[in-house]
Amino acid sequence: MAVSALSHPGIIDGGEEVDQLYVETRDLRLTGFLLFMVSDLVLFSSFIFAYLYMRNSGQGWPGPGGPKLDLALASLNSIVLFGSGATMHFALENWKHGKFIKFANWLVATIVLGLLFLSGQGIEYVTLYTRDHASWSGSGIFGASFFTLTGMHGLHVFAGVIYLTVLLLQSVQGKYTRQKYFGLTAGTLYWHFVDVIWVVLFSIFYLL
Amino acid sequence: MDNLPHIERIIAAIFGVVVFVTAAVALKNDWRSVGLENAVFKGMLGLLALGAALGFFAAIGVVGRA
Repeated sequence: MAVSALSHPGIIDGGEEVDQLYVETRDLRLTGFLLFMVSDLVLFSSFIFAYLYMRNSGQGWPGPGGPKLDLALASLNSIVLFGSGATMHFALENWKHGKFIKFANWLVATIVLGLLFLSGQGIEYVTLYTRDHASWSGSGIFGASFFTLTGMHGLHVFAGVIYLTVLLLQSVQGKYTRQKYFGLTAGTLYWHFVDVIWVVLFSIFYLL
Repeated sequence: MDNLPHIERIIAAIFGVVVFVTAAVALKNDWRSVGLENAVFKGMLGLLALGAALGFFAAIGVVGRA
């Protein structure tokens, strides 16, 4: 469905005054959302530090003969996800400037890039399973750590894709205005958070 | 299919530069903005640029162990 063909009220901007109640609840919601991201960060951190501890405890772990990760595919997949962070940033900036069509196009681009990332991760999982017989339960502690962390991150990306799709539909329906758009801000924060987590996972699994 | 990793690396390197420049420019434009929300955005854009740089260097073979 072409975004430009959608029937929508666009970004409402009728000299609307931002009331004090909205400003106060917006700050509270922002704080709440940041706390949610911190709690999610703690969840990822515990798994990441467990992985690093185990890796540094064993000699040469994960050792020769273990599954070989595809750095070329991972690099491309990472750039796809980081690119989606940039497109999401553009989407929010266009909303702030009242450009609805550009906003919607950048948001759709973000959703597509998120789906591409998930496809790339799926290809990597299938390759690891068919070539190296690596799986969550069948390839020792490395496999368990790798599949748990990347799988948990993939789940967050999947949730983010659904979240962004809902935001797109809500914005088409005119739920947000040029002055009141906290949902879009939260969506952008969440998507950047998912990007930042992948910077860490990409570094520890493929680079270090 | 033998050339696939090579093609993946080239595409990743090219778009790595694009994403890095985009994130760096966005960070520069937002640099003077104030408030908690913008502070978080700036931090995340910085890490996004770092990630794009790492992806680029991994694609050209400077870093990476796989």
